[in-house]
Amino acid sequence: MKLSIDEKRCKGCNLCTMVCPYRIFRPGKTPNERGIVIPVLDRPERCPNARLQPLYGRTLCGMCQMICPDQAISWVEEKPGEKKKVAIEF
Amino acid sequence: MTFTDWLRADRLPHIYCAGCGNGTVINCTLNAVDQMGWKKEETVFVSGIGCSSRAPGYIVTDSLHTTHGRALAFATGIKMANPALNIVVFTGDGDLAAIGGNHFIHACRRNIDLTVVCMNNMIYGMTGGQGSPTTPPGALSTTTPYGSEEPAFDLCELAAAAGANYAARWTSYHVKELTHAVLAGLRTPGFSFIEALVQCPTNYGRRNKFRQPLDQVEYFKTHGMLVEKVRRLHEEGREIPPDTIVLGELARRNRPAMGVKR
Ligand SMILES: Cc1ncc(C[n+]2csc(CCOP(=O)(O)OP(=O)(O)O)c2C)c(N)n1
Ligand code: SF4
Ligand code: SF4
Ligand code: SF4
Repeated sequence: MKLSIDEKRCKGCNLCTMVCPYRIFRPGKTPNERGIVIPVLDRPERCPNARLQPLYGRTLCGMCQMICPDQAISWVEEKPGEKKKVAIEF
Repeated sequence: MTFTDWLRADRLPHIYCAGCGNGTVINCTLNAVDQMGWKKEETVFVSGIGCSSRAPGYIVTDSLHTTHGRALAFATGIKMANPALNIVVFTGDGDLAAIGGNHFIHACRRNIDLTVVCMNNMIYGMTGGQGSPTTPPGALSTTTPYGSEEPAFDLCELAAAAGANYAARWTSYHVKELTHAVLAGLRTPGFSFIEALVQCPTNYGRRNKFRQPLDQVEYFKTHGMLVEKVRRLHEEGREIPPDTIVLGELARRNRPAMGVKR
């Protein structure tokens, strides 16, 4: 699974940048076509929920999704054949 | 199921300003409701008027968006007519404690089986930033341009004194704790009151030195203190900083309740 920000919902408040223990969300710099500066994702493959949610069958961490006041954060399945990055923790 | 299944995706994004804490409280409340395993047809969300009270409009279940201050009166009616329904009330500090103040204390006195989530932004958000009964002393609003000179209501203490079975306070920063508190409230028969302090960047933050939504959330993070610690410091005669936000469970008891499903 991969972490995703819904550009139609995000209002650029940056609350997600405050809570992620991995600091995956970083304040963005350039406004999108709606004039909203969406956070950028720094190596989102490190997110434990993206890596282990299918294995555990429940949300792990999930702080960003809970604090996001605009319900813009979710995890989506990769499309079949889509290349994916993996993070190895040791 | 997850809490996102309770949202009306077709209605999102909602009308709240960027960084408004109300959205976070919706997430936490729905997460708790989802964990209860309730059926959508047996759950009703009720609210009054205000930004906070727009919340039920984004939820798939039946809901009542009522008149200003009257959410608890309507909720009492639903519960008495059909105790089998699970009722969650969303309200604001103005809605609950100013115009709806009497309904609040009497709902607590009756200890009616409702769960009330109050999004306390310490101001009237929807109408442009007038002071509310929870505006802290010194805070600026359009009706307190030199800083509020009145003491503020402590909503949890008020609920506890009036007879509620459960009262807890958290903030939009403490998402996990807030979810647990709402869950505890939903499980408690009788009146459960959960106060969630929220940032209102547009009307409160902008006037009170919280220029970004993050600034006020950071304030919640650094100024919160667990009620157990506050009580201990008090017993030891140690000083408690005056701007401390007392967090945690402020009341949990088992008074006879009204409207409990048999
Ligand atoms: C009977 C009545 N009086 C006044 C109003 C105007 N009014 C609308 S919202 C509001 C205040 C809402 O404040 P609060 O409950 O704190 O909610 P917030 O918008 O801050 O979330 C007021 C006074 C009204 N709609 N109806
Ligand atoms: S789930 Fe946790 S670790 Fe993963 S992106 Fe969100 S906050 Fe970061
Ligand atoms: S918390 Fe949500 S709305 Fe705010 S910047 Fe992050 S993704 Fe966007
Ligand atoms: S005015 Fe305040 S409470 Fe209302 S939506 Fe905007 S930030 Fe939220």
